[in-house]
Amino acid sequence: MNGMDQERFEDLKDAYVLGALPEEERLEFEQYLVAHPDLQAEIEELSTIAGLLAFSVPEQEPSPELRRRIMATVEGEAVQPRTSRRSWLAGLWEAVGPRDLALAGAAILVIGLFSWSMLLQGEVRDLQGRVQSLQSQPQGPQMIALAGAGTEQGARAELVTLEGDRAVLVAENMPPAPEGKTYQIWVIKGDTPQPSGLFEPKGDSVAAVVENPVEGADAVAVTIEPEGGSKKPTTDPMLVGKVKA
Amino acid sequence: MGLVEVGDPEAFAALYDRHGRMAYSLAYRMMGEKQEAEDVVQEAFIKVWRSAGGYRVGRGSVRTWILSIVRNRGIDHIRSHATRGRMQDKVEASAPTFEPSEAFAETWKNTQQEHVREALNTLPHEQLKILELSYFSGYTHVEIAERLELPLGTVKGRMRLGLQKLRDYYQARGAAVPR
Repeated sequence: MNGMDQERFEDLKDAYVLGALPEEERLEFEQYLVAHPDLQAEIEELSTIAGLLAFSVPEQEPSPELRRRIMATVEGEAVQPRTSRRSWLAGLWEAVGPRDLALAGAAILVIGLFSWSMLLQGEVRDLQGRVQSLQSQPQGPQMIALAGAGTEQGARAELVTLEGDRAVLVAENMPPAPEGKTYQIWVIKGDTPQPSGLFEPKGDSVAAVVENPVEGADAVAVTIEPEGGSKKPTTDPMLVGKVKA
Repeated sequence: MGLVEVGDPEAFAALYDRHGRMAYSLAYRMMGEKQEAEDVVQEAFIKVWRSAGGYRVGRGSVRTWILSIVRNRGIDHIRSHATRGRMQDKVEASAPTFEPSEAFAETWKNTQQEHVREALNTLPHEQLKILELSYFSGYTHVEIAERLELPLGTVKGRMRLGLQKLRDYYQARGAAVPR
Protein backbone atom coordinates (compact mmCIF):
# COMPACT_ATOMS: atom_id res chain seq x y z
CA MET A 1 0.00 0.00 0.00
CA ASN A 2 1.41 3.37 -1.03
CA GLY A 3 1.15 6.34 1.31
CA MET A 4 -1.99 8.42 0.98
CA ASP A 5 -1.67 11.69 -0.90
CA GLN A 6 -4.05 13.86 -2.91
CA GLU A 7 -3.68 11.73 -6.02
CA ARG A 8 -4.46 8.54 -4.14
CA PHE A 9 -7.32 10.26 -2.36
CA GLU A 10 -8.84 11.11 -5.75
CA ASP A 11 -8.31 7.52 -6.87
CA LEU A 12 -10.09 6.01 -3.86
CA LYS A 13 -12.83 8.47 -2.96
CA ASP A 14 -15.53 6.86 -5.13
CA ALA A 15 -14.88 3.40 -3.72
CA TYR A 16 -14.85 4.91 -0.22
CA VAL A 17 -18.32 6.45 -0.47
CA LEU A 18 -19.65 3.19 -1.91
CA GLY A 19 -18.17 1.32 1.07
CA ALA A 20 -15.96 -0.64 -1.28
CA LEU A 21 -12.53 -0.07 0.28
CA PRO A 22 -10.87 -2.97 2.06
CA GLU A 23 -10.47 -2.32 5.81
CA GLU A 24 -6.82 -1.25 5.69
CA GLU A 25 -7.35 1.20 2.83
CA ARG A 26 -10.50 2.53 4.45
CA LEU A 27 -8.67 3.33 7.69
CA GLU A 28 -5.86 5.00 5.80
CA PHE A 29 -8.37 7.01 3.76
CA GLU A 30 -10.18 8.14 6.90
CA GLN A 31 -6.94 9.16 8.59
CA TYR A 32 -6.15 11.30 5.56
CA LEU A 33 -9.63 12.79 5.74
CA VAL A 34 -9.18 13.68 9.40
CA ALA A 35 -5.88 15.37 8.56
CA HIS A 36 -7.52 17.29 5.67
CA PRO A 37 -10.92 18.52 6.93
CA ASP A 38 -11.26 20.72 3.83
CA LEU A 39 -11.99 17.52 1.87
CA GLN A 40 -14.88 16.54 4.15
CA ALA A 41 -17.51 18.51 2.21
CA GLU A 42 -16.54 16.84 -1.06
CA ILE A 43 -16.85 13.40 0.53
CA GLU A 44 -20.22 14.26 2.07
CA GLU A 45 -21.53 15.43 -1.30
CA LEU A 46 -20.23 12.29 -2.99
CA SER A 47 -21.77 10.14 -0.22
CA THR A 48 -25.13 11.75 -0.94
CA ILE A 49 -24.79 10.74 -4.59
CA ALA A 50 -23.89 7.16 -3.62
CA GLY A 51 -26.80 7.18 -1.14
CA LEU A 52 -29.22 7.61 -4.06
CA LEU A 53 -28.99 3.87 -4.58
CA ALA A 54 -30.95 3.40 -1.36
CA PHE A 55 -33.92 5.22 -2.92
CA SER A 56 -34.05 2.91 -5.89
CA VAL A 57 -35.06 -0.23 -4.00
CA PRO A 58 -38.56 -1.73 -4.37
CA GLU A 59 -40.80 -0.99 -1.40
CA GLN A 60 -41.21 -3.75 1.17
CA GLU A 61 -43.52 -3.71 4.17
CA PRO A 62 -41.92 -4.72 7.48
CA SER A 63 -44.00 -6.89 9.78
CA PRO A 64 -45.83 -5.28 12.72
CA GLU A 65 -43.89 -7.73 14.90
CA LEU A 66 -40.64 -5.92 14.00
CA ARG A 67 -42.07 -2.64 15.30
CA ARG A 68 -43.21 -4.38 18.50
CA ARG A 69 -39.76 -5.88 19.07
CA ILE A 70 -37.99 -2.56 18.53
CA MET A 71 -40.42 -0.65 20.73
CA ALA A 72 -40.17 -3.26 23.48
CA THR A 73 -36.42 -2.64 23.68
CA VAL A 74 -36.83 1.13 23.47
CA GLU A 75 -39.53 1.26 26.13
CA GLY A 76 -37.54 -1.09 28.33
CA GLU A 77 -34.56 1.24 28.18
CA ALA A 78 -36.64 4.41 28.50
CA VAL A 79 -38.09 3.33 31.87
CA GLN A 80 -34.70 2.65 33.43
CA PRO A 81 -34.72 5.90 35.43
CA ARG A 82 -37.83 4.57 37.23
CA THR A 83 -35.71 1.74 38.56
CA SER A 84 -33.49 4.22 40.36
CA ARG A 85 -36.60 5.90 41.79
CA ARG A 86 -37.65 2.53 43.18
CA SER A 87 -34.27 2.20 44.86
CA TRP A 88 -34.72 5.62 46.42
CA LEU A 89 -38.14 4.55 47.78
CA ALA A 90 -36.69 1.33 49.08
CA GLY A 91 -34.05 3.34 50.96
CA LEU A 92 -36.72 5.57 52.48
CA TRP A 93 -38.75 2.52 53.48
CA GLU A 94 -35.78 1.18 55.40
CA ALA A 95 -34.91 4.55 57.00
CA VAL A 96 -38.41 5.65 58.17
CA GLY A 97 -40.14 2.38 58.72
CA PRO A 98 -43.26 0.91 57.09
CA ARG A 99 -45.90 2.33 59.48
CA ASP A 100 -44.79 6.00 59.29
CA LEU A 101 -44.32 5.78 55.58
CA ALA A 102 -47.83 4.35 55.11
CA LEU A 103 -49.41 7.15 57.21
CA ALA A 104 -47.50 9.82 55.28
CA GLY A 105 -48.54 8.23 52.01
CA ALA A 106 -52.22 8.20 53.00
CA ALA A 107 -52.10 11.89 53.95
CA ILE A 108 -50.47 12.83 50.64
CA LEU A 109 -53.09 10.79 48.79
CA VAL A 110 -56.01 12.62 50.43
CA ILE A 111 -54.51 16.05 49.73
CA GLY A 112 -53.67 15.00 46.18
CA LEU A 113 -57.19 13.73 45.42
CA PHE A 114 -58.76 16.93 46.73
CA SER A 115 -56.46 19.12 44.60
CA TRP A 116 -57.02 16.95 41.55
CA SER A 117 -60.80 17.22 41.93
CA MET A 118 -60.59 21.03 42.07
CA LEU A 119 -58.33 21.06 39.03
CA LEU A 120 -60.70 18.86 37.02
CA GLN A 121 -63.68 21.06 37.85
CA GLY A 122 -61.73 24.07 36.55
CA GLU A 123 -60.79 22.26 33.36
CA VAL A 124 -64.40 21.21 32.71
CA ARG A 125 -65.56 24.84 33.05
CA ASP A 126 -62.78 25.95 30.69
CA LEU A 127 -63.66 23.33 28.06
CA GLN A 128 -67.37 24.19 28.25
CA GLY A 129 -66.45 27.81 27.52
CA ARG A 130 -64.30 26.81 24.54
CA VAL A 131 -67.02 24.60 23.03
CA GLN A 132 -69.57 27.44 23.29
CA SER A 133 -67.09 29.81 21.69
CA LEU A 134 -66.42 27.44 18.77
CA GLN A 135 -70.12 26.78 18.26
CA SER A 136 -70.72 30.49 17.85
CA GLN A 137 -68.03 30.73 15.07
CA PRO A 138 -68.92 28.01 12.58
CA GLN A 139 -66.87 29.44 9.66
CA GLY A 140 -63.83 30.71 11.56
CA PRO A 141 -60.30 30.25 10.23
CA GLN A 142 -58.67 26.87 10.75
CA MET A 143 -55.02 26.43 11.59
CA ILE A 144 -53.08 23.35 10.60
CA ALA A 145 -49.58 22.87 11.98
CA LEU A 146 -46.93 21.73 9.52
CA ALA A 147 -44.29 19.26 10.61
CA GLY A 148 -41.14 17.78 9.10
CA ALA A 149 -37.40 18.25 8.81
CA GLY A 150 -37.84 22.01 8.94
CA THR A 151 -39.29 21.88 12.45
CA GLU A 152 -36.31 19.80 13.52
CA GLN A 153 -34.21 22.85 12.61
CA GLY A 154 -36.37 25.11 14.75
CA ALA A 155 -38.83 26.37 12.12
CA ARG A 156 -42.54 26.60 12.92
CA ALA A 157 -45.28 26.88 10.34
CA GLU A 158 -49.04 26.87 10.21
CA LEU A 159 -51.49 26.83 7.35
CA VAL A 160 -54.33 29.24 8.01
CA THR A 161 -57.40 28.48 5.92
CA LEU A 162 -59.70 31.42 5.37
CA GLU A 163 -63.23 31.74 4.02
CA GLY A 164 -63.77 30.21 0.63
CA ASP A 165 -60.75 28.32 -0.62
CA ARG A 166 -58.07 30.75 0.36
CA ALA A 167 -55.18 29.89 2.63
CA VAL A 168 -52.05 31.54 3.93
CA LEU A 169 -48.90 29.86 5.11
CA VAL A 170 -47.36 31.53 8.15
CA ALA A 171 -43.84 30.45 9.08
CA GLU A 172 -41.39 31.46 11.78
CA ASN A 173 -37.66 30.86 12.14
CA MET A 174 -37.29 29.46 8.63
CA PRO A 175 -33.61 29.32 7.71
CA PRO A 176 -32.77 31.35 4.58
CA ALA A 177 -32.96 29.28 1.39
CA PRO A 178 -29.50 28.33 0.05
CA GLU A 179 -27.92 30.51 -2.68
CA GLY A 180 -29.86 30.20 -5.92
CA LYS A 181 -32.78 28.40 -4.23
CA THR A 182 -36.19 29.37 -2.96
CA TYR A 183 -38.99 27.90 -0.86
CA GLN A 184 -41.93 26.54 -2.83
CA ILE A 185 -45.41 25.68 -1.56
CA TRP A 186 -47.26 22.63 -2.90
CA VAL A 187 -50.91 21.69 -2.61
CA ILE A 188 -51.16 17.92 -2.91
CA LYS A 189 -54.32 16.33 -4.25
CA GLY A 190 -54.24 12.59 -4.70
CA ASP A 191 -50.94 11.85 -6.40
CA THR A 192 -50.39 15.34 -7.77
CA PRO A 193 -48.41 18.10 -6.09
CA GLN A 194 -49.51 21.45 -7.55
CA PRO A 195 -46.96 24.31 -7.44
CA SER A 196 -48.66 26.90 -5.24
CA GLY A 197 -46.34 29.82 -4.69
CA LEU A 198 -42.79 30.79 -3.80
CA PHE A 199 -41.51 32.64 -0.77
CA GLU A 200 -38.31 33.88 0.83
CA PRO A 201 -38.16 34.25 4.59
CA LYS A 202 -37.32 37.81 5.59
CA GLY A 203 -36.81 38.43 9.28
CA ASP A 204 -38.21 36.09 11.89
CA SER A 205 -41.53 35.36 10.24
CA VAL A 206 -43.12 35.23 6.82
CA ALA A 207 -46.63 34.89 5.45
CA ALA A 208 -47.23 33.60 1.93
CA VAL A 209 -50.48 33.21 0.02
CA VAL A 210 -51.18 29.63 -1.08
CA GLU A 211 -52.00 30.09 -4.74
CA ASN A 212 -54.20 27.01 -5.20
CA PRO A 213 -57.38 26.11 -3.33
CA VAL A 214 -56.76 23.82 -0.38
CA GLU A 215 -60.31 22.54 -0.12
CA GLY A 216 -60.34 18.85 -0.96
CA ALA A 217 -56.53 18.68 -0.89
CA ASP A 218 -54.72 15.94 1.00
CA ALA A 219 -51.79 18.00 2.17
CA VAL A 220 -49.78 21.18 1.86
CA ALA A 221 -46.00 20.99 1.80
CA VAL A 222 -42.94 23.21 1.44
CA THR A 223 -39.73 22.26 -0.38
CA ILE A 224 -36.53 24.01 -1.36
CA GLU A 225 -36.37 24.42 -5.13
CA PRO A 226 -34.19 26.18 -7.67
CA GLU A 227 -34.90 29.91 -8.10
CA GLY A 228 -38.09 30.45 -10.05
CA GLY A 229 -39.59 27.22 -8.69
CA SER A 230 -40.12 23.77 -10.15
CA LYS A 231 -43.01 22.07 -11.90
CA LYS A 232 -42.56 19.02 -9.69
CA PRO A 233 -40.91 18.85 -6.27
CA THR A 234 -37.25 17.89 -6.53
CA THR A 235 -36.36 17.69 -2.83
CA ASP A 236 -37.75 16.27 0.37
CA PRO A 237 -40.45 18.43 1.93
CA MET A 238 -39.14 20.67 4.72
CA LEU A 239 -42.68 20.91 6.08
CA VAL A 240 -45.87 18.95 5.52
CA GLY A 241 -49.37 19.49 6.89
CA LYS A 242 -52.24 17.12 6.34
CA VAL A 243 -55.35 19.02 5.27
CA LYS A 244 -58.02 16.32 5.33
CA ALA A 245 -59.07 14.98 8.71
CA MET B 1 -35.49 14.19 16.56
CA GLY B 2 -34.86 16.36 19.59
CA LEU B 3 -37.36 14.33 21.63
CA VAL B 4 -35.72 11.09 20.54
CA GLU B 5 -32.41 12.47 21.78
CA VAL B 6 -33.86 12.99 25.25
CA GLY B 7 -35.23 9.45 25.27
CA ASP B 8 -38.91 9.91 24.42
CA PRO B 9 -40.25 6.52 23.21
CA GLU B 10 -43.30 8.10 21.54
CA ALA B 11 -41.09 10.36 19.45
CA PHE B 12 -39.00 7.34 18.57
CA ALA B 13 -42.12 5.40 17.53
CA ALA B 14 -43.03 8.29 15.21
CA LEU B 15 -39.51 8.21 13.79
CA TYR B 16 -39.82 4.48 13.13
CA ASP B 17 -43.26 4.91 11.54
CA ARG B 18 -41.84 7.52 9.20
CA HIS B 19 -38.64 5.79 8.15
CA GLY B 20 -39.12 2.12 9.06
CA ARG B 21 -40.47 1.00 5.71
CA MET B 22 -37.70 2.63 3.69
CA ALA B 23 -35.13 1.18 6.09
CA TYR B 24 -36.66 -2.28 5.79
CA SER B 25 -36.83 -1.99 1.99
CA LEU B 26 -33.11 -1.23 1.88
CA ALA B 27 -32.30 -4.04 4.32
CA TYR B 28 -34.42 -6.48 2.32
CA ARG B 29 -32.67 -5.46 -0.89
CA MET B 30 -29.34 -6.17 0.80
CA MET B 31 -30.18 -9.35 2.70
CA GLY B 32 -32.70 -10.88 0.31
CA GLU B 33 -34.80 -12.45 3.05
CA LYS B 34 -37.28 -11.29 5.64
CA GLN B 35 -35.68 -12.52 8.86
CA GLU B 36 -32.20 -11.17 8.22
CA ALA B 37 -33.64 -7.90 6.92
CA GLU B 38 -35.69 -7.51 10.11
CA ASP B 39 -32.64 -8.26 12.26
CA VAL B 40 -30.68 -5.57 10.42
CA VAL B 41 -33.47 -3.00 10.83
CA GLN B 42 -33.92 -3.88 14.49
CA GLU B 43 -30.22 -3.46 15.22
CA ALA B 44 -30.09 -0.24 13.20
CA PHE B 45 -33.05 1.37 14.97
CA ILE B 46 -31.78 0.34 18.40
CA LYS B 47 -28.53 2.02 17.44
CA VAL B 48 -30.49 5.12 16.36
CA TRP B 49 -32.27 5.09 19.72
CA ARG B 50 -29.05 4.78 21.69
CA SER B 51 -27.07 7.29 19.68
CA ALA B 52 -29.67 9.84 18.58
CA GLY B 53 -27.36 12.53 20.01
CA GLY B 54 -24.87 11.62 17.29
CA TYR B 55 -27.16 12.95 14.57
CA ARG B 56 -26.05 16.32 13.19
CA VAL B 57 -28.48 18.43 11.20
CA GLY B 58 -25.75 19.78 8.91
CA ARG B 59 -24.83 16.27 7.78
CA GLY B 60 -27.93 15.48 5.73
CA SER B 61 -31.43 14.44 6.63
CA VAL B 62 -32.51 12.12 9.42
CA ARG B 63 -33.55 9.64 6.73
CA THR B 64 -30.09 9.63 5.14
CA TRP B 65 -28.54 9.13 8.57
CA ILE B 66 -30.85 6.21 9.37
CA LEU B 67 -30.32 4.61 5.96
CA SER B 68 -26.56 4.84 6.36
CA ILE B 69 -26.82 3.02 9.70
CA VAL B 70 -29.06 0.35 8.11
CA ARG B 71 -26.60 -0.08 5.27
CA ASN B 72 -23.60 -0.38 7.59
CA ARG B 73 -25.40 -2.99 9.70
CA GLY B 74 -26.39 -4.82 6.51
CA ILE B 75 -22.80 -4.88 5.27
CA ASP B 76 -21.66 -6.20 8.67
CA HIS B 77 -24.23 -9.01 8.43
CA ILE B 78 -23.27 -9.85 4.85
CA ARG B 79 -19.56 -9.93 5.65
CA SER B 80 -19.97 -11.94 8.84
CA HIS B 81 -22.46 -14.49 7.51
CA ALA B 82 -21.31 -14.58 3.87
CA THR B 83 -24.94 -14.63 2.76
CA ARG B 84 -24.41 -12.70 -0.42
CA GLY B 85 -24.70 -15.69 -2.77
CA ARG B 86 -28.15 -16.75 -1.67
CA MET B 87 -29.17 -13.13 -1.25
CA GLN B 88 -28.61 -12.42 -4.96
CA ASP B 89 -30.76 -15.37 -5.96
CA LYS B 90 -33.59 -14.42 -3.65
CA VAL B 91 -33.59 -10.78 -4.68
CA GLU B 92 -33.77 -11.69 -8.33
CA ALA B 93 -36.56 -14.20 -7.70
CA SER B 94 -38.68 -11.90 -5.56
CA ALA B 95 -41.30 -9.68 -7.11
CA PRO B 96 -41.27 -6.11 -5.86
CA THR B 97 -44.24 -5.37 -3.65
CA PHE B 98 -45.65 -1.93 -3.16
CA GLU B 99 -48.28 -0.96 -0.69
CA PRO B 100 -49.45 2.61 -0.91
CA SER B 101 -49.90 4.50 2.32
CA GLU B 102 -51.12 8.04 2.84
CA ALA B 103 -51.30 9.91 -0.43
CA PHE B 104 -49.15 12.88 0.46
CA ALA B 105 -46.21 10.88 1.78
CA GLU B 106 -46.37 8.58 -1.21
CA THR B 107 -46.43 11.45 -3.66
CA TRP B 108 -43.14 12.83 -2.42
CA LYS B 109 -41.50 9.49 -2.17
CA ASN B 110 -42.72 8.37 -5.58
CA THR B 111 -41.49 11.52 -7.24
CA GLN B 112 -38.06 11.10 -5.72
CA GLN B 113 -37.90 7.42 -6.52
CA GLU B 114 -38.95 8.17 -10.09
CA HIS B 115 -36.06 10.62 -10.40
CA VAL B 116 -33.57 8.23 -8.85
CA ARG B 117 -34.64 5.37 -11.11
CA GLU B 118 -34.52 7.66 -14.11
CA ALA B 119 -31.02 8.75 -13.08
CA LEU B 120 -29.90 5.15 -12.63
CA ASN B 121 -31.33 4.30 -16.04
CA THR B 122 -28.88 6.75 -17.61
CA LEU B 123 -26.00 4.52 -16.45
CA PRO B 124 -24.60 1.83 -18.73
CA HIS B 125 -25.27 -1.63 -17.30
CA GLU B 126 -21.62 -2.31 -16.47
CA GLN B 127 -21.37 0.86 -14.35
CA LEU B 128 -24.65 0.21 -12.55
CA LYS B 129 -23.67 -3.36 -11.80
CA ILE B 130 -20.46 -2.24 -10.10
CA LEU B 131 -22.26 0.38 -8.02
CA GLU B 132 -24.84 -2.21 -6.92
CA LEU B 133 -22.27 -4.88 -6.11
CA SER B 134 -20.49 -2.48 -3.79
CA TYR B 135 -23.44 -0.63 -2.31
CA PHE B 136 -25.92 -3.46 -1.75
CA SER B 137 -23.73 -6.54 -1.59
CA GLY B 138 -20.74 -5.15 0.28
CA TYR B 139 -18.05 -6.25 -2.15
CA THR B 140 -14.80 -4.31 -2.08
CA HIS B 141 -13.40 -2.94 -5.32
CA VAL B 142 -10.74 -5.67 -5.25
CA GLU B 143 -13.42 -8.38 -4.87
CA ILE B 144 -15.48 -6.88 -7.68
CA ALA B 145 -12.42 -6.86 -9.96
CA GLU B 146 -11.82 -10.54 -9.19
CA ARG B 147 -15.45 -11.52 -9.56
CA LEU B 148 -15.92 -9.73 -12.90
CA GLU B 149 -12.38 -10.50 -14.07
CA LEU B 150 -11.61 -6.86 -14.69
CA PRO B 151 -8.51 -4.80 -13.93
CA LEU B 152 -8.87 -2.90 -10.63
CA GLY B 153 -8.40 0.38 -12.51
CA THR B 154 -11.43 -0.40 -14.67
CA VAL B 155 -13.59 -1.04 -11.61
CA LYS B 156 -12.51 2.25 -10.04
CA GLY B 157 -13.09 4.05 -13.33
CA ARG B 158 -16.62 2.68 -13.65
CA MET B 159 -17.40 3.66 -10.07
CA ARG B 160 -16.22 7.20 -10.78
CA LEU B 161 -18.14 7.49 -14.05
CA GLY B 162 -21.29 5.99 -12.53
CA LEU B 163 -21.35 8.47 -9.64
CA GLN B 164 -20.47 11.32 -11.99
CA LYS B 165 -23.41 10.47 -14.25
CA LEU B 166 -25.79 10.43 -11.30
CA ARG B 167 -24.55 13.85 -10.23
CA ASP B 168 -24.83 15.15 -13.81
CA TYR B 169 -28.42 13.96 -14.02
CA TYR B 170 -29.45 16.21 -11.12
CA GLN B 171 -27.24 19.12 -12.13
CA ALA B 172 -28.65 19.13 -15.67
CA ARG B 173 -32.12 19.55 -14.17
CA GLY B 174 -31.07 22.13 -11.60
CA ALA B 175 -32.48 19.77 -8.99
CA ALA B 176 -31.16 19.00 -5.54
CA VAL B 177 -30.03 15.47 -4.82
CA PRO B 178 -32.50 13.84 -2.38
CA ARG B 179 -31.09 13.43 1.12
